[in-house]
Amino acid sequence: MARRKLLGKENTVSPSAQLRLADAPAYASDTADLGDLLTLVGRGDERAFAAVYDALGSSVYGLARRVIRDPSRAEEVAQEVFIQVWQSAARFDASRGSAKSWVLTLAHRRAVDAVRHDQAATNRENKYDWSNGPDFDEVEETVTISLEHEQVKRCLEGLTELQREAVNLAYYKGYTYAEVATALGANTATVKTRMRDGIVRLRDCMGVEA
Amino acid sequence: MSIDLHSLMAPYALDALERDERTRFEAHLDQCVDCQAELAGFMATAVRLGDAVSHTPPPALRDRLLSEITQTSQERPVVTALAQRRSLRRTLPRLAMAAAFLVGAVGVGGYVVEHENASEARNDKVAISQVIGADDVATSAKSFTAGGTVRMYASPSADAAVIIAHDMPSPGKGKVYQVWMIDKSGPTSQGTFVDDGEMIMKGVAGADRVAVTVEPQGGSKQPTSAPVATIPV
Repeated sequence: MARRKLLGKENTVSPSAQLRLADAPAYASDTADLGDLLTLVGRGDERAFAAVYDALGSSVYGLARRVIRDPSRAEEVAQEVFIQVWQSAARFDASRGSAKSWVLTLAHRRAVDAVRHDQAATNRENKYDWSNGPDFDEVEETVTISLEHEQVKRCLEGLTELQREAVNLAYYKGYTYAEVATALGANTATVKTRMRDGIVRLRDCMGVEA
Repeated sequence: MSIDLHSLMAPYALDALERDERTRFEAHLDQCVDCQAELAGFMATAVRLGDAVSHTPPPALRDRLLSEITQTSQERPVVTALAQRRSLRRTLPRLAMAAAFLVGAVGVGGYVVEHENASEARNDKVAISQVIGADDVATSAKSFTAGGTVRMYASPSADAAVIIAHDMPSPGKGKVYQVWMIDKSGPTSQGTFVDDGEMIMKGVAGADRVAVTVEPQGGSKQPTSAPVATIPV
Protein backbone atom coordinates (compact mmCIF):
# COMPACT_ATOMS: atom_id res chain seq x y z
CA MET A 1 0.00 0.00 0.00
CA ALA A 2 1.11 3.50 -0.75
CA ARG A 3 1.36 4.65 2.83
CA ARG A 4 3.54 1.71 3.87
CA LYS A 5 5.92 2.64 1.12
CA LEU A 6 5.95 6.22 2.19
CA LEU A 7 7.07 5.24 5.64
CA GLY A 8 9.79 2.86 4.57
CA LYS A 9 11.14 4.89 1.70
CA GLU A 10 13.27 7.49 3.33
CA ASN A 11 14.97 6.18 6.37
CA THR A 12 18.01 8.34 6.01
CA VAL A 13 18.34 12.08 6.11
CA SER A 14 19.89 13.34 2.92
CA PRO A 15 23.38 14.77 3.47
CA SER A 16 22.29 18.18 2.25
CA ALA A 17 19.43 18.33 4.75
CA GLN A 18 21.76 17.39 7.59
CA LEU A 19 24.27 19.97 6.54
CA ARG A 20 21.71 22.72 6.40
CA LEU A 21 20.33 21.84 9.80
CA ALA A 22 23.74 21.60 11.39
CA ASP A 23 24.92 24.91 9.99
CA ALA A 24 21.93 26.93 11.02
CA PRO A 25 21.39 28.28 14.52
CA ALA A 26 18.74 26.18 16.21
CA TYR A 27 15.49 27.68 17.41
CA ALA A 28 14.94 27.00 21.05
CA SER A 29 11.52 25.42 20.85
CA ASP A 30 10.77 25.83 24.54
CA THR A 31 11.18 29.57 24.45
CA ALA A 32 10.08 30.58 20.95
CA ASP A 33 6.38 31.12 20.49
CA LEU A 34 4.91 28.16 18.65
CA GLY A 35 2.55 30.37 16.70
CA ASP A 36 5.47 32.44 15.39
CA LEU A 37 7.31 29.25 14.51
CA LEU A 38 4.30 27.96 12.58
CA THR A 39 4.17 31.21 10.65
CA LEU A 40 7.80 30.65 9.68
CA VAL A 41 7.01 27.05 8.73
CA GLY A 42 4.33 28.41 6.41
CA ARG A 43 7.07 30.32 4.61
CA GLY A 44 9.16 27.21 4.16
CA ASP A 45 11.51 27.54 7.14
CA GLU A 46 12.85 24.05 7.78
CA ARG A 47 14.52 24.90 11.08
CA ALA A 48 11.26 26.29 12.40
CA PHE A 49 9.61 23.04 11.34
CA ALA A 50 12.22 21.07 13.31
CA ALA A 51 11.51 23.24 16.35
CA VAL A 52 7.76 22.69 16.01
CA TYR A 53 8.39 18.98 15.75
CA ASP A 54 10.60 19.01 18.84
CA ALA A 55 7.90 20.84 20.78
CA LEU A 56 4.91 18.79 19.64
CA GLY A 57 6.31 15.47 18.37
CA SER A 58 5.63 13.54 21.55
CA SER A 59 2.15 15.04 21.94
CA VAL A 60 1.19 14.09 18.38
CA TYR A 61 2.79 10.65 18.47
CA GLY A 62 1.40 9.91 21.93
CA LEU A 63 -2.11 10.87 20.89
CA ALA A 64 -1.91 8.81 17.70
CA ARG A 65 -0.59 5.88 19.68
CA ARG A 66 -3.28 6.17 22.29
CA VAL A 67 -6.07 6.17 19.71
CA ILE A 68 -4.56 3.71 17.23
CA ARG A 69 -2.60 1.45 19.62
CA ASP A 70 -0.42 -0.11 16.91
CA PRO A 71 2.89 1.78 17.30
CA SER A 72 3.98 1.54 13.67
CA ARG A 73 0.59 2.68 12.39
CA ALA A 74 0.67 5.50 14.93
CA GLU A 75 4.07 6.50 13.61
CA GLU A 76 2.70 6.63 10.06
CA VAL A 77 -0.17 8.82 11.18
CA ALA A 78 2.16 11.12 13.15
CA GLN A 79 4.26 11.45 10.01
CA GLU A 80 1.17 12.35 7.96
CA VAL A 81 0.16 14.92 10.55
CA PHE A 82 3.51 16.71 10.44
CA ILE A 83 3.60 16.62 6.65
CA GLN A 84 0.15 18.23 6.74
CA VAL A 85 1.49 20.82 9.19
CA TRP A 86 4.34 21.56 6.78
CA GLN A 87 1.99 21.83 3.82
CA SER A 88 -0.75 23.90 5.35
CA ALA A 89 1.02 25.95 8.03
CA ALA A 90 0.17 29.09 6.05
CA ARG A 91 -3.46 28.44 6.92
CA PHE A 92 -2.83 28.56 10.67
CA ASP A 93 -4.69 31.52 12.10
CA ALA A 94 -3.54 32.54 15.58
CA SER A 95 -6.79 34.42 16.20
CA ARG A 96 -8.72 31.13 16.12
CA GLY A 97 -6.69 29.24 18.69
CA SER A 98 -3.19 28.28 19.76
CA ALA A 99 -0.66 26.54 17.55
CA LYS A 100 -0.71 23.51 19.80
CA SER A 101 -4.50 23.37 19.53
CA TRP A 102 -4.30 23.51 15.77
CA VAL A 103 -1.74 20.72 15.48
CA LEU A 104 -3.33 18.43 18.07
CA THR A 105 -6.77 18.91 16.52
CA LEU A 106 -5.35 17.84 13.15
CA ALA A 107 -3.61 14.93 14.82
CA HIS A 108 -6.68 13.68 16.64
CA ARG A 109 -8.88 13.84 13.58
CA ARG A 110 -6.34 11.96 11.51
CA ALA A 111 -5.86 9.32 14.18
CA VAL A 112 -9.61 8.83 14.49
CA ASP A 113 -10.05 8.64 10.72
CA ALA A 114 -7.24 6.10 10.53
CA VAL A 115 -8.59 3.87 13.27
CA ARG A 116 -12.10 3.92 11.75
CA HIS A 117 -10.75 3.23 8.29
CA ASP A 118 -8.68 0.30 9.53
CA GLN A 119 -11.62 -1.05 11.49
CA ALA A 120 -13.86 -0.82 8.43
CA ALA A 121 -11.25 -2.71 6.42
CA THR A 122 -11.03 -5.39 9.12
CA ASN A 123 -14.81 -5.71 9.20
CA ARG A 124 -14.87 -6.16 5.45
CA GLU A 125 -12.17 -8.80 5.58
CA ASN A 126 -14.04 -10.67 8.25
CA LYS A 127 -17.21 -10.40 6.21
CA TYR A 128 -15.84 -11.60 2.91
CA ASP A 129 -12.86 -13.74 3.77
CA TRP A 130 -14.32 -16.64 5.70
CA SER A 131 -11.06 -18.55 5.82
CA ASN A 132 -9.55 -16.07 8.24
CA GLY A 133 -12.05 -16.72 10.97
CA PRO A 134 -12.51 -14.45 13.92
CA ASP A 135 -9.47 -12.81 15.38
CA PHE A 136 -9.08 -14.22 18.87
CA ASP A 137 -5.98 -12.20 19.61
CA GLU A 138 -7.84 -8.97 19.75
CA VAL A 139 -8.99 -8.38 23.29
CA GLU A 140 -11.29 -5.49 23.81
CA GLU A 141 -9.76 -3.76 26.75
CA THR A 142 -11.80 -2.03 29.32
CA VAL A 143 -11.52 1.69 29.44
CA THR A 144 -8.92 2.62 31.96
CA ILE A 145 -7.47 5.92 32.88
CA SER A 146 -3.70 5.93 32.88
CA LEU A 147 -2.83 9.46 32.06
CA GLU A 148 0.43 11.17 32.80
CA HIS A 149 -1.16 14.46 33.36
CA GLU A 150 -2.40 14.64 36.93
CA GLN A 151 -4.86 17.46 36.41
CA VAL A 152 -6.53 15.84 33.41
CA LYS A 153 -6.69 12.58 35.31
CA ARG A 154 -8.23 14.22 38.34
CA CYS A 155 -10.76 16.08 36.21
CA LEU A 156 -11.75 12.90 34.37
CA GLU A 157 -12.21 11.17 37.70
CA GLY A 158 -14.58 13.95 38.67
CA LEU A 159 -17.05 12.99 35.95
CA THR A 160 -19.95 10.61 36.38
CA GLU A 161 -19.24 7.15 35.05
CA LEU A 162 -21.39 7.63 31.95
CA GLN A 163 -19.85 10.98 31.19
CA ARG A 164 -16.35 9.62 31.61
CA GLU A 165 -16.94 6.55 29.47
CA ALA A 166 -18.63 8.58 26.75
CA VAL A 167 -15.67 10.98 26.61
CA ASN A 168 -13.12 8.16 26.84
CA LEU A 169 -14.61 5.96 24.14
CA ALA A 170 -15.04 8.88 21.78
CA TYR A 171 -11.82 10.75 22.32
CA TYR A 172 -9.34 8.00 23.13
CA LYS A 173 -10.82 5.18 21.07
CA GLY A 174 -12.28 7.07 18.12
CA TYR A 175 -15.87 5.84 18.59
CA THR A 176 -18.66 7.81 16.97
CA TYR A 177 -21.39 8.84 19.40
CA ALA A 178 -23.62 6.18 17.84
CA GLU A 179 -20.97 3.55 18.59
CA VAL A 180 -20.61 4.89 22.10
CA ALA A 181 -24.37 4.53 22.52
CA THR A 182 -24.22 0.90 21.40
CA ALA A 183 -21.23 0.15 23.62
CA LEU A 184 -22.88 1.65 26.67
CA GLY A 185 -26.39 0.45 25.93
CA ALA A 186 -27.70 4.01 26.01
CA ASN A 187 -29.63 5.95 23.40
CA THR A 188 -27.84 8.46 21.21
CA ALA A 189 -29.59 11.50 22.67
CA THR A 190 -28.41 10.49 26.14
CA VAL A 191 -24.87 9.97 24.91
CA LYS A 192 -24.76 13.37 23.24
CA THR A 193 -25.98 14.98 26.45
CA ARG A 194 -23.45 13.07 28.57
CA MET A 195 -20.66 14.15 26.24
CA ARG A 196 -21.74 17.72 26.51
CA ASP A 197 -22.07 17.62 30.29
CA GLY A 198 -18.73 15.83 30.49
CA ILE A 199 -16.89 18.39 28.37
CA VAL A 200 -18.42 21.32 30.22
CA ARG A 201 -17.36 19.80 33.52
CA LEU A 202 -13.85 19.03 32.25
CA ARG A 203 -13.52 22.51 30.81
CA ASP A 204 -14.43 24.12 34.12
CA CYS A 205 -12.25 21.70 36.11
CA MET A 206 -9.23 22.36 33.90
CA GLY A 207 -9.79 26.07 33.97
CA VAL A 208 -10.12 26.38 30.20
CA GLU A 209 -11.63 29.74 29.31
CA ALA A 210 -15.21 29.26 28.23
CA MET B 1 -32.72 20.61 9.45
CA SER B 2 -34.52 17.92 11.32
CA ILE B 3 -31.93 17.14 13.96
CA ASP B 4 -30.71 19.63 16.48
CA LEU B 5 -27.28 20.50 15.17
CA HIS B 6 -26.41 22.25 18.38
CA SER B 7 -26.43 18.90 20.18
CA LEU B 8 -23.63 17.77 17.87
CA MET B 9 -21.15 20.28 19.26
CA ALA B 10 -19.71 18.05 22.00
CA PRO B 11 -19.45 15.01 19.69
CA TYR B 12 -17.84 17.29 17.10
CA ALA B 13 -15.23 18.53 19.58
CA LEU B 14 -14.43 14.90 20.45
CA ASP B 15 -14.33 13.87 16.75
CA ALA B 16 -17.23 11.52 17.42
CA LEU B 17 -19.25 12.38 14.31
CA GLU B 18 -19.52 10.44 11.08
CA ARG B 19 -17.99 12.25 8.18
CA ASP B 20 -21.29 13.47 6.68
CA GLU B 21 -22.50 14.78 10.01
CA ARG B 22 -19.16 16.49 10.55
CA THR B 23 -19.59 18.31 7.24
CA ARG B 24 -23.12 19.30 8.13
CA PHE B 25 -22.10 20.58 11.51
CA GLU B 26 -19.28 22.64 10.00
CA ALA B 27 -21.70 24.23 7.59
CA HIS B 28 -23.96 25.11 10.51
CA LEU B 29 -21.01 26.44 12.48
CA ASP B 30 -20.29 28.95 9.78
CA GLN B 31 -23.58 30.71 10.47
CA CYS B 32 -23.67 30.33 14.24
CA VAL B 33 -21.55 32.87 16.11
CA ASP B 34 -22.67 31.62 19.54
CA CYS B 35 -21.61 28.10 18.60
CA GLN B 36 -18.17 29.29 17.57
CA ALA B 37 -17.54 30.89 20.93
CA GLU B 38 -18.65 27.85 22.89
CA LEU B 39 -16.91 25.44 20.57
CA ALA B 40 -13.55 27.15 21.12
CA GLY B 41 -13.71 26.19 24.81
CA PHE B 42 -14.78 22.62 23.95
CA MET B 43 -11.95 22.23 21.46
CA ALA B 44 -9.40 23.60 23.93
CA THR B 45 -10.66 21.07 26.47
CA ALA B 46 -10.28 18.22 23.98
CA VAL B 47 -6.74 19.37 23.24
CA ARG B 48 -5.93 19.05 26.94
CA LEU B 49 -7.15 15.46 26.85
CA GLY B 50 -4.90 14.87 23.84
CA ASP B 51 -1.89 16.48 25.39
CA ALA B 52 -2.15 14.28 28.47
CA VAL B 53 -1.05 11.12 26.66
CA SER B 54 2.24 12.21 25.13
CA HIS B 55 4.77 9.56 24.25
CA THR B 56 8.30 9.96 22.88
CA PRO B 57 8.31 9.08 19.19
CA PRO B 58 10.98 6.87 17.60
CA PRO B 59 13.99 9.07 16.67
CA ALA B 60 13.81 7.88 13.04
CA LEU B 61 10.53 9.76 12.62
CA ARG B 62 12.23 13.11 13.06
CA ASP B 63 14.94 12.28 10.53
CA ARG B 64 12.43 11.03 8.04
CA LEU B 65 10.26 14.14 8.36
CA LEU B 66 13.15 16.59 8.08
CA SER B 67 14.22 14.80 4.94
CA GLU B 68 10.74 14.56 3.48
CA ILE B 69 9.80 18.21 3.86
CA THR B 70 12.73 19.20 1.67
CA GLN B 71 10.81 17.53 -1.16
CA THR B 72 7.29 18.54 -0.19
CA SER B 73 5.54 21.54 -1.68
CA GLN B 74 3.53 23.88 0.54
CA GLU B 75 0.17 25.52 0.19
CA ARG B 76 0.32 29.18 -0.66
CA PRO B 77 -0.21 31.66 2.15
CA VAL B 78 -3.17 33.59 3.48
CA VAL B 79 -4.84 35.29 0.49
CA THR B 80 -5.25 32.19 -1.64
CA ALA B 81 -6.02 29.99 1.32
CA LEU B 82 -8.74 32.32 2.57
CA ALA B 83 -10.37 32.57 -0.83
CA GLN B 84 -10.39 28.81 -1.10
CA ARG B 85 -11.83 28.42 2.34
CA ARG B 86 -14.68 30.81 1.58
CA SER B 87 -15.59 29.11 -1.63
CA LEU B 88 -15.47 25.72 0.06
CA ARG B 89 -17.73 26.87 2.87
CA ARG B 90 -20.22 28.35 0.50
CA THR B 91 -20.45 25.05 -1.28
CA LEU B 92 -20.67 22.83 1.75
CA PRO B 93 -24.38 23.13 2.54
CA ARG B 94 -25.20 22.25 -1.03
CA LEU B 95 -22.91 19.23 -0.90
CA ALA B 96 -24.37 18.18 2.39
CA MET B 97 -27.85 18.35 0.91
CA ALA B 98 -26.82 16.28 -2.06
CA ALA B 99 -25.32 13.75 0.31
CA ALA B 100 -28.55 13.51 2.27
CA PHE B 101 -30.30 12.10 -0.80
CA LEU B 102 -27.91 9.21 -1.15
CA VAL B 103 -29.34 6.10 0.38
CA GLY B 104 -26.71 4.14 2.21
CA ALA B 105 -24.01 6.72 1.76
CA VAL B 106 -22.18 5.92 4.95
CA GLY B 107 -19.04 7.94 5.40
CA VAL B 108 -16.73 5.81 7.47
CA GLY B 109 -13.64 7.95 7.67
CA GLY B 110 -10.42 7.63 5.84
CA TYR B 111 -9.36 6.71 2.38
CA VAL B 112 -6.36 5.45 0.58
CA VAL B 113 -5.03 7.37 -2.33
CA GLU B 114 -3.75 4.74 -4.65
CA HIS B 115 -0.64 6.37 -5.99
CA GLU B 116 2.89 5.13 -5.97
CA ASN B 117 4.29 8.61 -5.78
CA ALA B 118 3.53 10.32 -2.50
CA SER B 119 4.19 13.90 -3.58
CA GLU B 120 2.03 13.39 -6.64
CA ALA B 121 -0.68 12.17 -4.31
CA ARG B 122 -0.37 15.29 -2.21
CA ASN B 123 -0.61 17.56 -5.23
CA ASP B 124 -3.69 15.61 -6.20
CA LYS B 125 -5.17 16.22 -2.78
CA VAL B 126 -4.92 19.96 -3.26
CA ALA B 127 -6.44 19.67 -6.73
CA ILE B 128 -9.20 17.44 -5.34
CA SER B 129 -10.23 19.97 -2.72
CA GLN B 130 -10.25 22.66 -5.39
CA VAL B 131 -12.71 20.65 -7.50
CA ILE B 132 -14.93 19.79 -4.54
CA GLY B 133 -14.86 23.42 -3.44
CA ALA B 134 -15.52 24.88 -6.91
CA ASP B 135 -18.56 27.11 -7.26
CA ASP B 136 -19.97 25.12 -10.14
CA VAL B 137 -19.41 21.65 -8.71
CA ALA B 138 -22.13 19.10 -9.42
CA THR B 139 -22.35 15.77 -7.65
CA SER B 140 -23.88 12.46 -8.52
CA ALA B 141 -23.51 9.09 -6.90
CA LYS B 142 -24.22 5.42 -7.11
CA SER B 143 -24.87 3.46 -3.94
CA PHE B 144 -24.80 -0.31 -3.71
CA THR B 145 -27.33 -2.35 -1.83
CA ALA B 146 -24.53 -4.38 -0.25
CA GLY B 147 -22.99 -1.13 1.02
CA GLY B 148 -20.51 1.19 -0.61
CA THR B 149 -20.82 4.37 -2.62
CA VAL B 150 -19.12 5.82 -5.64
CA ARG B 151 -19.57 9.56 -5.71
CA MET B 152 -18.51 11.98 -8.41
CA TYR B 153 -17.91 15.71 -8.09
CA ALA B 154 -17.58 17.38 -11.49
CA SER B 155 -16.59 21.00 -12.07
CA PRO B 156 -16.81 22.41 -15.62
CA SER B 157 -14.74 25.47 -14.68
CA ALA B 158 -11.91 23.26 -13.41
CA ASP B 159 -12.45 20.86 -16.34
CA ALA B 160 -11.99 18.11 -13.81
CA ALA B 161 -13.94 15.54 -11.87
CA VAL B 162 -13.23 13.77 -8.60
CA ILE B 163 -14.30 10.22 -7.87
CA ILE B 164 -14.58 9.15 -4.25
CA ALA B 165 -15.31 5.53 -3.47
CA HIS B 166 -16.30 4.62 0.06
CA ASP B 167 -16.67 1.30 1.77
CA MET B 168 -17.03 -0.74 -1.38
CA PRO B 169 -17.73 -4.44 -1.01
CA SER B 170 -14.61 -6.51 -1.68
CA PRO B 171 -14.13 -7.01 -5.44
CA GLY B 172 -12.88 -10.55 -4.66
CA LYS B 173 -9.45 -12.06 -4.18
CA GLY B 174 -6.91 -10.80 -6.71
CA LYS B 175 -9.41 -8.31 -8.12
CA VAL B 176 -9.62 -4.53 -8.04
CA TYR B 177 -12.09 -1.88 -9.06
CA GLN B 178 -10.95 0.12 -12.09
CA VAL B 179 -12.30 3.54 -13.03
CA TRP B 180 -12.76 4.48 -16.68
CA MET B 181 -13.52 7.76 -18.36
CA ILE B 182 -15.53 7.12 -21.50
CA ASP B 183 -15.65 9.52 -24.44
CA LYS B 184 -16.15 9.17 -28.18
CA SER B 185 -12.86 7.34 -28.61
CA GLY B 186 -13.74 4.78 -25.94
CA PRO B 187 -12.71 4.08 -22.33
CA THR B 188 -9.49 5.40 -20.77
CA SER B 189 -8.28 3.94 -17.49
CA GLN B 190 -8.16 6.41 -14.58
CA GLY B 191 -6.77 4.07 -11.95
CA THR B 192 -7.77 1.30 -9.57
CA PHE B 193 -8.86 0.95 -5.96
CA VAL B 194 -9.93 -1.84 -3.63
CA ASP B 195 -12.38 -0.60 -1.01
CA ASP B 196 -11.90 3.13 -0.64
CA GLY B 197 -10.32 5.43 -3.16
CA GLU B 198 -10.14 9.02 -4.23
CA MET B 199 -8.94 10.16 -7.61
CA ILE B 200 -9.01 13.20 -9.82
CA MET B 201 -9.61 13.16 -13.56
CA LYS B 202 -8.62 16.10 -15.67
CA GLY B 203 -9.86 17.11 -19.10
CA VAL B 204 -13.40 15.85 -18.65
CA ALA B 205 -15.02 18.35 -21.04
CA GLY B 206 -15.37 15.80 -23.85
CA ALA B 207 -16.22 12.90 -21.56
CA ASP B 208 -19.54 11.18 -21.75
CA ARG B 209 -19.56 9.10 -18.59
CA VAL B 210 -17.44 7.43 -15.94
CA ALA B 211 -17.65 3.69 -15.39
CA VAL B 212 -16.32 1.33 -12.72
CA THR B 213 -15.53 -2.29 -13.55
CA VAL B 214 -14.02 -5.22 -11.63
CA GLU B 215 -10.65 -6.17 -13.07
CA PRO B 216 -7.72 -8.42 -12.18
CA GLN B 217 -5.11 -6.96 -9.80
CA GLY B 218 -3.06 -4.28 -11.53
CA GLY B 219 -5.93 -3.29 -13.78
CA SER B 220 -6.67 -4.01 -17.42
CA LYS B 221 -5.91 -2.05 -20.59
CA GLN B 222 -9.56 -2.23 -21.62
CA PRO B 223 -12.61 -3.12 -19.49
CA THR B 224 -13.08 -6.89 -19.37
CA SER B 225 -16.37 -6.98 -17.48
CA ALA B 226 -19.69 -5.18 -17.38
CA PRO B 227 -19.55 -2.00 -15.30
CA VAL B 228 -20.77 -2.19 -11.71
CA ALA B 229 -21.43 1.56 -11.84
CA THR B 230 -21.88 4.12 -14.58
CA ILE B 231 -22.14 7.83 -13.84
CA PRO B 232 -22.90 10.40 -16.55
CA VAL B 233 -20.54 13.38 -16.57
